[in-house]
Amino acid sequence: MSYEAFLDGDPVIVTAALTGGVHGKEANPNVPETPEEIGRAAGEVEAAGASVVHLHARRPNGERSFDTERFQEIDDAVRRHTDDVVIQHSTGGTGAPDADRHRPLRTDPPPEMASLDMGPLNRYDHLTSENTRGLVDSLHAEMVDRGIKPELEVFNDGHRNEVHGLLARRDLADPVYATLIFGPGTLTRPRPEHFLTAIADLPDGATFNTLGFGRHQLPFATMGILFGGHVRVGLEDNVYYERGELAESNAQLVERVVRVAEELGRPVATTDEAREILGL
Amino acid sequence: MPCPYLEYRDTSADQSFDEARAFCTVVEEFVQPMRADICNDRYALDHESHCEIYRAHAEGEE
Repeated sequence: MSYEAFLDGDPVIVTAALTGGVHGKEANPNVPETPEEIGRAAGEVEAAGASVVHLHARRPNGERSFDTERFQEIDDAVRRHTDDVVIQHSTGGTGAPDADRHRPLRTDPPPEMASLDMGPLNRYDHLTSENTRGLVDSLHAEMVDRGIKPELEVFNDGHRNEVHGLLARRDLADPVYATLIFGPGTLTRPRPEHFLTAIADLPDGATFNTLGFGRHQLPFATMGILFGGHVRVGLEDNVYYERGELAESNAQLVERVVRVAEELGRPVATTDEAREILGL
Repeated sequence: MPCPYLEYRDTSADQSFDEARAFCTVVEEFVQPMRADICNDRYALDHESHCEIYRAHAEGEE
């Protein structure tokens, strides 16, 4: 992936992170939380140009759930509302037991993709999401068994070491697909020079996805488009459309990044093209 | 045991919800769903250790 891909007008995969597990309707009432709300949002973002939906599960009151059954309800709703969008489950879960982190992988059918957090990150002032190498390896092993493509979530520069280490330890199917994440706290500082360093430091042949938190979502998505990567937007990562203006929907955020990609000469990938690019 | 400052409410001064949600009576706000797991001492989480709001409030009461 490189600037050449931009010049060549290669298709860009848009992933929509619909709900997340950190904030919810208390932050923006338009965050979908129930399976039906998430399913409807998936249909809207697919129509807007997203080919992948990144999913978390919640209890009826918006709190986190890691239950396979809850993910199944969500997947069933997503499939009712979409044509053939790629389903990607989160395996993230600050403070949750390792056994629970596996449960999103066990739906029937399994998700085509699942996230794999590459290492620790701080939450609030007194909590760390550990994501040990042991957990990374066990989640990856189950993904391989179930035919699930890992999306390597690279929250900071040290996590790129973890990507290279994972490749040395385990056999990852081509292409390696890494989401480069920029924002506050433990994340890579959201500056263009760090973005350029990150994409240059990925393993040969890797494909990258670009994720900026909050107000960094649009500029970093734009850089991802310019430098041949793919993009992730959605209410999980950013509840605002503009400073001080809450986003109306996930689709509103997808529509904007689709306009940017098309204006810059990169067509948005269809779901078939996304599957081909990702090797699904 | 859940945080003593946790309540489940469906309305506040400026927000309302169909389902009752976790509300922190120290800061008088609905809390993030992930923070609600800390309030409830779910999994390996513990409000006395992991919640800066509880810790600061407890220190202020000493």
